[in-house]
Amino acid sequence: MSAGGPGGEAHGGVAPGKIIAFGVLGGLIGIYGAHFLSIINPAFSFIGALGAICAIVWGADAVRRVCSYGLGTGVPSIGMIALGMGVIASLFGLAVGGIAGPIVALIAASIIGLVIGLLANKVLGMNIPIMEKSMVEIGGAGALAIVGLSTTMAGTFMFDEVLALVVAPGYIAVIFIAGGMGILHPFNACLGPDEEQDRTLAVGFEKGAIAMIIAGIVSMVISTTAAIPAIMIGVFIWYISFAKFYELTKRDAYKVLGTGLLPTEEELQ
Amino acid sequence: MIDIAGILMENISYVLLITLGGMLISFSVHFVPVGGAPAAMAQATGIGTGTVQLAAGAGLTGLVTAGTVMQVSDNPPLIIAAGAVGAMIMISVTMIVGTWVYVYGVGVPPASAKVKYDPITKDRQDLYVSQGTEGHGLPTVSYVSGVIGGLLGGGGGALVYYSLMSAGMDTGMAMANLVGLASIFAVGIFFVNAVIPSYNIGGTIEGFHDPKFKKWPKAVFSSLIATFMCALVAVLTIGGL
Repeated sequence: MSAGGPGGEAHGGVAPGKIIAFGVLGGLIGIYGAHFLSIINPAFSFIGALGAICAIVWGADAVRRVCSYGLGTGVPSIGMIALGMGVIASLFGLAVGGIAGPIVALIAASIIGLVIGLLANKVLGMNIPIMEKSMVEIGGAGALAIVGLSTTMAGTFMFDEVLALVVAPGYIAVIFIAGGMGILHPFNACLGPDEEQDRTLAVGFEKGAIAMIIAGIVSMVISTTAAIPAIMIGVFIWYISFAKFYELTKRDAYKVLGTGLLPTEEELQ
Repeated sequence: MIDIAGILMENISYVLLITLGGMLISFSVHFVPVGGAPAAMAQATGIGTGTVQLAAGAGLTGLVTAGTVMQVSDNPPLIIAAGAVGAMIMISVTMIVGTWVYVYGVGVPPASAKVKYDPITKDRQDLYVSQGTEGHGLPTVSYVSGVIGGLLGGGGGALVYYSLMSAGMDTGMAMANLVGLASIFAVGIFFVNAVIPSYNIGGTIEGFHDPKFKKWPKAVFSSLIATFMCALVAVLTIGGL
């Protein structure tokens, strides 16, 4: 499917550098914060999902920048490759890195992303100027999103716990799809000539919040103390970001009209 | 610190098998008739969704069947065949139901716009292609091509899963942990190798009769490098525990 066709550089909004800093620093601070504060009180594990939201918003912005050029195929593909690279890199990082796990995961994902970006441009001939840079960003965002959500679910990013509590029961698959949805859906939903960065990223926050709520529900298995703050804060962020998205949609739309309900049989006669 | 060189030397054959599996998946995507969004509106030949969704649907079914057989047998050809058959069944069901929808629901005859005669049935195609479309539905050649795609993709996916499981068998890891880890790595490798060919073909292809099919060496070469890296990382994770 040729979504968008040949396009150009994405314009407007917050500069990419700021969003990258927001994603990397926010993601890592969230993950480490959740890891260390959970030792004091498991209720703090929700901070990991906040880090994941930062990473998801970063990923969504990177998808927005690269997909503005037109991939020749659907936007979802890039979200799926992000999480494919991310899941391999993040489990590798957590397994070998110990306390440096999230950073090793980020670096491993960036390297895999760089290679895939180079292959896409040089071998497959996609000729998108920012492909390499974007693939690095998307892989890194995917890895941080997975580590962040896993930390909220397990209360730690130590590999043995993550393996037993997140990977073995299959919750990693939920993270895979929820995180991938957060990265691919915002631009997929908002693309077009009238696409605006703030509206796209509002969807990113909203999808990240849904992932956070899901991570909270899963962490209920381990401790209710950890689950309740994650679910409550997730619902709060979801409401704020969805309201913001609706407001921005009304701003960007030419006109918003209610169609009303379907007419009843009497009214049709 | 784990002994990286030692683990790699011990499991080098599995790294190579995973890479081969990834290349098979990448090759298989070129056979699957993917129409993308235009096909969803019956304006292009193929199944009306993206490569990744189709590859995931068929490939993951292949993983499930391979995993099931792996519980009762450790015979590699049997496991790979089970994965291939699972994926073939899934893609066939998807294509036959898609054809019913196109023929009885949308009301279009299956027709290819890329060839004048179907290479298998020799039926005339161009007369049946509606004006302004790139063909519609799934002509016989696309269907057969899709089943071949399922065979290669499911076999490749099963090969990846089998290699990952075998690499972890000797480490004494709990079975549930090993299955979880091997499955999610297999899924990750599957998605990476489904997206690379999807960029190669520009999102749509009708099957092996499509001129775009000739581009497959590029995607398979890219997958060789990408999967090799992923395989190193995955084997280090699983073998190092």
